[in-house]
Amino acid sequence: MRKQILVGVLCLVAVMALVPALAWSADKIVMRMGDNLPNRTAAWGAVVEMINAEFTKAHPNVTFETESYQDQPWQEKVKLYATSGQLPDVMKYWSFSTLLKPLVDSNLVAELPLADFKAMNFVPGSLEVNMINGKLYGVPTNADFWVIYYNKRLFKDAGVAVPKTIEDLMASIPKFRAKGIAPMTTDGKDAWPLSITFDNLTERYSGTFSIIQGALDRKDRFTDPAFVQGARLLQEMAKAGLFNDDLLTSDYGASRNLFGQEKAAMYLMGSWEMGIPTDQSFPQSFRDNVSAFQIPALKGGKGVAGDQMAWFGGNYVLNAKSKYKDLGLEYIKFYFKRFPVLGWEKQAVFPAQRVNTSPNDTEVAKALVGILSAARVTSGTASLDRSTPAFKEDHQKLVKDLVAGVLTPEAFTKALDDSAANAASGQ
Amino acid sequence: MSRSIFSRPGSITVLVTPAVAVILFAIVAPITLSVYFSFTSWSGFGAIKPIGLANFQKILFHDPIFWRSLLNALLLAVVTLGIQNPVAFFVAALLTRIPQKRSRPFRTVFFVPAVLSLVVVTKLWVNIFSPTYGLLNKALSGLGLKILTAAWLTDVHTAVWSVIFIVIWQGFGWALLFYFTGLMTVPRELEEAAMIDGAAGLSLYGRIVIPYLLPVIQAVAVIGIISCLKQMEIVYLSTNGAPGDTTQFLANYVYIKAFNYSQYGYGNALSVLFVIIAVALTAVTQRSTRRLPEL
Repeated sequence: MRKQILVGVLCLVAVMALVPALAWSADKIVMRMGDNLPNRTAAWGAVVEMINAEFTKAHPNVTFETESYQDQPWQEKVKLYATSGQLPDVMKYWSFSTLLKPLVDSNLVAELPLADFKAMNFVPGSLEVNMINGKLYGVPTNADFWVIYYNKRLFKDAGVAVPKTIEDLMASIPKFRAKGIAPMTTDGKDAWPLSITFDNLTERYSGTFSIIQGALDRKDRFTDPAFVQGARLLQEMAKAGLFNDDLLTSDYGASRNLFGQEKAAMYLMGSWEMGIPTDQSFPQSFRDNVSAFQIPALKGGKGVAGDQMAWFGGNYVLNAKSKYKDLGLEYIKFYFKRFPVLGWEKQAVFPAQRVNTSPNDTEVAKALVGILSAARVTSGTASLDRSTPAFKEDHQKLVKDLVAGVLTPEAFTKALDDSAANAASGQ
Repeated sequence: MSRSIFSRPGSITVLVTPAVAVILFAIVAPITLSVYFSFTSWSGFGAIKPIGLANFQKILFHDPIFWRSLLNALLLAVVTLGIQNPVAFFVAALLTRIPQKRSRPFRTVFFVPAVLSLVVVTKLWVNIFSPTYGLLNKALSGLGLKILTAAWLTDVHTAVWSVIFIVIWQGFGWALLFYFTGLMTVPRELEEAAMIDGAAGLSLYGRIVIPYLLPVIQAVAVIGIISCLKQMEIVYLSTNGAPGDTTQFLANYVYIKAFNYSQYGYGNALSVLFVIIAVALTAVTQRSTRRLPEL
């Protein structure tokens, strides 16, 4: 009898312990998120955390489980998730045909209500690049444009003025080298910045970005003179010592750190690094002296500095198979209501929505606004992101080989053209 | 006599089923799927298009990067077996000749790289090799040997050797541990008997110790070859194959093709060949070390 009473009491205790747990877990929602913003305490990552905190305040039953990686690992992770049907509920991704289209084609991302987002002050053209067959699949986060960040103090110490031409840039190399610092750095390990720069230099010779699409569509060829000239110039820049000596093993974090720790005078990167002066992990002397300028023109070239490599790359997408699809959409709408305000207020990012500039904006923010408003024409998506994933990989690999001196400019453009031909023929 | 519950066919079936299921789902099914995908041009998602032997034809006859990665993996295996293992054996033999108490700090130091995370080890060496701020070039310059400085991981002449060095450095502790443990099991009386018969120094090792340790040597060699063939993490984290595929290794190439190029069919074909090569090399190593000639 005593044994039965004991068992009865134990069962009662177990039930009493389980009931609140079950009740609590019934309406508790864990939203899986993913992005390419590993730093959650500064710049853009911190803004996302603020938005999430505001959202959870309004939805106390929701918690976020976010995973963040740098660009390349995140893209690889998404491919793995897509293959195994484990995409996050909401994630930050890219509008490029190499990345978004395969997900859309496989019905992995949900269509979004175009009319709702049209009313949210997006810059013309930004929503359109996220549309496939007239349907919206991604909401653009930011305007991306290609610039050179620089450290004013290091420029002054080396006696270098802001380069107006590529020749000025090349002339600055020995001055920085004499000071024992790398003139310029970028993410050479992943190589996409080199691919974007190759597009940019090609335009500086030809005076038009349209030959890039022409070469992809096979109306033009990557072996045409402007591409060979652009490739030669990029190789000469590397050979002359413009970049840090370990460029090809410097990934995004390493190169950014080299610039932030004042061991490199310039940082070749996109406008998404607008928040770099707010990064507390860098010394104050860096944060007080960082600014940005346009990719210079080339003496005798047809392109001008106002011909701007610019596109709308980053976006947010909604998992079509998410358990919390409605809530995910609600989150995305909330995100884009708060993002242009908080993102600009924290000077963390250059949003794809209209913002109110202020005299208190950081020097980098002012410089970026100036660069974009001086743009004469814009490029649209960089060539490596306009074709197939295989073309993108080839582009990045080949440009690395060009910079390493393994390929001549002629061999590089020939191999790139072969890859474009394969992509165009569906191989 | 009543049969034990464990000898009844029903019980055996019930007990064996979970293990068989695990083997089927975790090993047999993925391998079968991989072989199936190797005959397709699947991109990871979307339609799966069967293309027969096209992937294998392309790999074997039109893919120089495959041969380069295989060559690099074999080069690494040769260096592992030809340099790392003999040095590890030599150091282990020296350590067995000194009292255990004194050899312990050395063993710990040699084994530390093996217990460190591969990411840490690789990033450590990438930083040491960095021509911008790396310790190696700075030390060489400090010693007046500036002429020897290089962009170790990005120069086509030094990159593959630098990667191989990292791999060898990281794996040295394991080889040492195996050999040290093996050497400690050699019976003292066996050595003493041989010494009475006149064996000493090299001949003692050549005629007594090494033949006695043949199973250990064989195991270390096989593990070494397999780990060389599957070398991926250090390559991925240091050079990812650059410059110009000079540091590309087989396992990393499989990953790049499958996940960067989204050519899953091709990647699977590469991994099928990879398994065949690994099994063949393991068999050859086992055969050749079965009757190792006396030194």
